[in-house]
Amino acid sequence: MALTGRAALVAALGIVVVLLAPQPGAALAGVCLLLAAAILVDLVFAGAVRPLRFHRSGDRLIRLGQRAEVELVVENPGGRRVRGALRDAWPPSAGASPRVLPLDVPAGERRRLVLTLDPTRRGDRASVAVTVRSLGPLGLAARQGSHRAPWSVRVLPPFLSRKHLPSRLARLRELDGRHPALVRGQGTEFDSLREYVVGDDVRSIDWRATARRHDVVVRTWRPERDRRVLIVLDTGRTSAGRVGDAPVPLAGAQANGGGLLVRPDPRPVPGWPRLDWSMDAALLLAALAARAGDQVDFLAHDRAVRAWVSGASRTELLSSLVTAMAPIEAELVEADSQAMVAAILSRAKRRCLVVLLTDLNSASLDEGLMPVLPQLSSRHLLLVAAVSDPRVAAMAAQRASAEQVYDAAAAERARLDRRRVTARLRRHGVEVVDAPPDDIAPALADAYLALKAAGRL
Amino acid sequence: MSVDLRPGETQGSHSTSPTVCSVWRTGRAAVALGLVILAVGVLITLFSPEQGESRPLDPADTSLAGSKALAQLLRDRGVTVDRVDSVEAAVAKATEPGRLLLVTATWFTDDPALARVPGDRVIVGSTRLPSQLAPGVRDLPGGSRERSREPECPLPAATAAGSVFIGGSVLTGPPGSTGCYPAGKGWSLVSYPHAGGTITVVGSGEFMSNLRLSEDGNAALALNLLGTAKAVTWLVEPDQPAVGDLAGPEGKSVHDLMPPGIPWAVGMAAITVLLLALWRGRRLGPVVMERLPVVVRAAETVEGRGRLYRARRARASAADSLRAGTIDRVTPRLGLGSGAERHEVVAALAVRTGQDPQQVGAALYGPAPVDDAGLVALAGYLDAIERTVSEH
Repeated sequence: MALTGRAALVAALGIVVVLLAPQPGAALAGVCLLLAAAILVDLVFAGAVRPLRFHRSGDRLIRLGQRAEVELVVENPGGRRVRGALRDAWPPSAGASPRVLPLDVPAGERRRLVLTLDPTRRGDRASVAVTVRSLGPLGLAARQGSHRAPWSVRVLPPFLSRKHLPSRLARLRELDGRHPALVRGQGTEFDSLREYVVGDDVRSIDWRATARRHDVVVRTWRPERDRRVLIVLDTGRTSAGRVGDAPVPLAGAQANGGGLLVRPDPRPVPGWPRLDWSMDAALLLAALAARAGDQVDFLAHDRAVRAWVSGASRTELLSSLVTAMAPIEAELVEADSQAMVAAILSRAKRRCLVVLLTDLNSASLDEGLMPVLPQLSSRHLLLVAAVSDPRVAAMAAQRASAEQVYDAAAAERARLDRRRVTARLRRHGVEVVDAPPDDIAPALADAYLALKAAGRL
Repeated sequence: MSVDLRPGETQGSHSTSPTVCSVWRTGRAAVALGLVILAVGVLITLFSPEQGESRPLDPADTSLAGSKALAQLLRDRGVTVDRVDSVEAAVAKATEPGRLLLVTATWFTDDPALARVPGDRVIVGSTRLPSQLAPGVRDLPGGSRERSREPECPLPAATAAGSVFIGGSVLTGPPGSTGCYPAGKGWSLVSYPHAGGTITVVGSGEFMSNLRLSEDGNAALALNLLGTAKAVTWLVEPDQPAVGDLAGPEGKSVHDLMPPGIPWAVGMAAITVLLLALWRGRRLGPVVMERLPVVVRAAETVEGRGRLYRARRARASAADSLRAGTIDRVTPRLGLGSGAERHEVVAALAVRTGQDPQQVGAALYGPAPVDDAGLVALAGYLDAIERTVSEH
C-alpha cells in the first residue's frame, strides 16, 4: 500500500479542526478514525495490482545514439478499474523516459504504454521491474505492487566510421579490376584471358594462349580473394582509457553532468574508451574486407576469450560482429598476451592477416607481446593498430608557460616511447597503424588496402 | 519434475510483490521476537520496585539517598514525624511545645519566620549554612571528607553513639557551644543552647540516609538527636514544578493561558507529519543498480608525469624529453638516418636553418637549463628550429 499527499493534506486540515473544536480530544479521535476509515475504503476499492498482466513488444536491437521504443501493454483482468501510476524500472544508463507513466485501465480492458529508451552506453539493458500504484476512489491511499515483465534491449556499437566505407570501396574496386586501367602488378592472382587492346602491357601477353588462337591474348590479374583476416580486440586495462571526444555521450559523461548530489567535476568530460574506437575501426575493416571477398573472423581477448566470431557469411558478418561486440567492456586487468597468441594460433590454422587492436604501451608490450611476437609473425602477417591520444598531442604543442612546458615534456616522453615501440615492432616485420581516434578507422582501412594492393595478404 | 510450457507464460509477466501469506511467513519470527521482548519488558517494569527520582534525606523516600528508615525508627519510638515542604507549613506546625524542627534542605529555608519557631532545631546539610536559623555558627572554607569519625566531645548524644560516618562542612560554633567529630580546624557537629532550645548543626546528613543508617553509630546519633522530642517537623525541599507550570504575575501558568485544543492539535500535527513521511517515503518501484564502466582518461598518466616534473622542477629530464622529440622529428627531414651522430645532426641543422652551429648544438645537446625561464626559452627555440626545418 501507499499513501498519497491528499491523505497528509486531510490530516493537516484536521489540525485546524482539532484546534477550533470545543472538545479537542474527541475531535482528534474523530478525525483520525474518519481518516483511517477513508484510507481503508480506498484500499478496499482500489483496483487490484496483483492480477495485472503485462505484454511487451518493440525494439530489441538499436545502435548507440538511436532511440528505442518499447511498448508495454497492461491488461487488467480484474473486476475494478486500475487508475494511478506505473513505473517501468530500467538501469540508469538505459535512459528510460518518462520515469512514471499515468495509468488508467478499465476492468477487463488493456492499454498500451510507450516507453522511450535513450541509452548512453553499449551493452544489454534489461527491465528490472514494473511497479503499479493503483489509487482508490478517494485518492487517499493506493495499492502498490511490482511485476516482472522481462525485456532487454541490446545497444550495439554505433559504427560511426561507416561514412568512410564508400570511398574505401571505390578504392577497392580500382584494385579489383572493375576499373578500366587494369595493369599488371595490381594483384598477383590470375583472373582471366582476354584480347589484347592497345595500351596493355606487352609483358602480360600470354604467348601460349595467343598461339592457340588467332588473336593476341593477354592475362589479367586481380588482387587475391578469399584470404583470411582475423581481427583481435585487446580488452585489457589499456583499452579502458578514454580518449578524444565522445561522439555519442557515454554513461561516464552523463554521470559528470547531471544530478544534484553529484559534485560537478571540473575536469573536462572524458571521451570514449579506446575499446570503443577500436571497435569502430574493426567494423570498418570488417565491412571492407567482407566486400573484398576475404573471410573475416573476430576475437576479443584479455586474460580469456571474451568473444569469438568465425565463419560468418558475408551478409551476416556485420550484424554478428556488432552483436558480439555490444556486451564487451574493458576489463581492468593486464591482458595476457601469451594466452592471446595461443588463442590466435589455435584458431587461425592457415596464414592470415592478424589485425591486433591494442595500445602501444611500451611497459605492457615489453612484458606481454614482444616475447611471443616471433611465434605470431612467423606464421601470420601482423598488423597492430592503436588509438593515440589527441590530448597528449595537444599537451606537447602547448609551450607558453613553465607549467605547460613541463607538461609538454611529459607528453614528448610519452610520444617518444610510442615511437620507439612502433620502430621495434616494424623491425619485427609488423605493420603498425597509430592514429588519433577520429582517424583510426580510415587509417586502418587504408593500411589494409595497401597490403591488399601490394599482394601481401 | 514437470515443465509448464503453456504459450505466453514463459514470456509473460508475473508479480514479484510479497503476498500477505509470504509477508506473514517471513515476518512471523520477527513478530514473535518483538512480542517476547515486549512481554519481558512489561514484566520487568511491573515487578521492579518503583524507582522514582531520588530525594536525599526525605522521610518518604525509599531510595538509598532517602531517609524513610530513620522516619520509621522514629515512629516506632512514638515520635510523630510530619513531613513538610514549605516554611509556612513548618511554622503552622509549631504550635505545641516539645516539637523539634529538622531542616534537611538548608538552601531555601533561611527565613526569619522559621527562625522564630521555638523549640529544638537540627540543621543538616553541607550546601549552605542558614545564618538566621543557626546564629553564630560559621562555616570554614574547604570542607572535609565524609568518613567515620570519633566524637571526642562531652555531648551525650554523640558519646553514646560513638563513631559516626560524618564530614562535610567544617563548623565553628559561638562561645558556649559544644563541637563534636573534629574535622580540620573545626567540627562536623556543633550544638549550643539558644532561646530556650538547642540548636544542632551537622555538616552532612549522609549518616541519616537509608544507605548509611545501619553502619557505625549512625542510627544511634540520629535517634539521640531527634528521638528526644515528642514530634519532629521534617522540612524537606519542595517538589520543583515544571517551567510551564510556574505561575506568572497574573497567577496563571502557561498551561492555564493555552487554549485547550493546542496539545491535541500538536498531536494531530504529529500524525500529519507521520502521514507525510509515509507518503514521501514510499518509493514507486525498486532502486536500480548498475555496474558502470570505469571513467579514466588515457592522458592521466602523462598529466601525472608532467605534474611530477613540475613538482620536482625536473628541468634536466624535461629538457631531455623535449630535445629527443625535436631530434626524432627533425632527423628524417634532414635526410639523416635514426643512427645519425650528434655532430652530423648539428651540422645539417645549422646549414638548413642558417644559424650558428654552436648555438644549435647547445640547444640540442647542451647542459640543462638552470631555471624555468631557461626551460621555456629552450622549448621556444626548439620549436623555432622545427618550424624552420619544416618550412624549408
